[in-house]
Amino acid sequence: MAGTSMYSRRQLLLTALISAFALTTTPSFAATEIYDAKTRKWVKYDRATARKMFARNKQAPEAFRPQVVKFRTAEQPGTIIIDGNQHFLYLVQPGHQAIRYGIGVGREGFGWAGIVRVGRVAEWPTWTPPAEMVARDPNAAKWAGGQPGGPDNPLGARALYLYEGDRDTIYRIHGTPEPWTIGLDVSSGCIRMNNDDIVDLHSRIKVGAKVIVLMQGAALYKGV
Amino acid sequence: MPQTRTSCRSAMLAAATLALLAATGCASTNEPQETARSTLQTAPADLQLLCASAVSTQTGTASDKVLPISSRQIDGATYQVELDAAGKRHSCTVDNNGNVTSVRAG
Repeated sequence: MAGTSMYSRRQLLLTALISAFALTTTPSFAATEIYDAKTRKWVKYDRATARKMFARNKQAPEAFRPQVVKFRTAEQPGTIIIDGNQHFLYLVQPGHQAIRYGIGVGREGFGWAGIVRVGRVAEWPTWTPPAEMVARDPNAAKWAGGQPGGPDNPLGARALYLYEGDRDTIYRIHGTPEPWTIGLDVSSGCIRMNNDDIVDLHSRIKVGAKVIVLMQGAALYKGV
Repeated sequence: MPQTRTSCRSAMLAAATLALLAATGCASTNEPQETARSTLQTAPADLQLLCASAVSTQTGTASDKVLPISSRQIDGATYQVELDAAGKRHSCTVDNNGNVTSVRAG
């Protein structure tokens, strides 16, 4: 009985804390929209729409394909900037420019923000699901010992492992066998890119590159 | 009589210019510059980072300890960016041209 009462009190406290947090912070997750040039209207771009459009066009919407854009920054060329809210990854170039790629990011509750670095990289990496994912996802459980690299591997063609100092954050920038998920909030906190794009990014960056992750309302990664 | 000819020529020139503009796509169609967006309207990433750089310079905080945490558009040309600088909150305004117009603590 005492245990039940304590549990209820804990639940009440937790509910109050979550409510207070919800009232004092701006929600970080919102819908992606795509401009339809035919109807001249913005349309909701969710998982179902994305999959349908990808099946039709065999590529991501134009905005999420690689392109060189103006980017005014004091950050050094080679720095990676991730705008999680808008689903873009920028690789800073000289002359106030950047290469912009489309990305998929953490779904609700899995987003984060912080300043980290590329600690190491891998080609066609092995994917080892974390213990909590093994516990909740039967598909992940069968690969508890590690899934070898290949076209069906969730990490895709390349992985950039994000470190804070010398510590692995467990977050990665990686490819994906699900290219229609670019532009959406879908992951467990990793940044996913089309395989062609991650191969291109991998060829342009150096281990040690600074990575700035912007995501409004998401938890700050420790150390910032 | 010469005046009428001049007016007629001007009208023809104006019509030809309009036709050319329409044909070359110079006429405004109100198409957005970006064809994807989030319903959460944040400041462009480069403008957020210009604010981070300004806060770092102004407060003497190491640049790798200053992170934009939220932003919003104030008007058509200005954004407000909230930042965490080594645990302390700062607010910054920046315009579309990349000019940081104010930085304040709290």
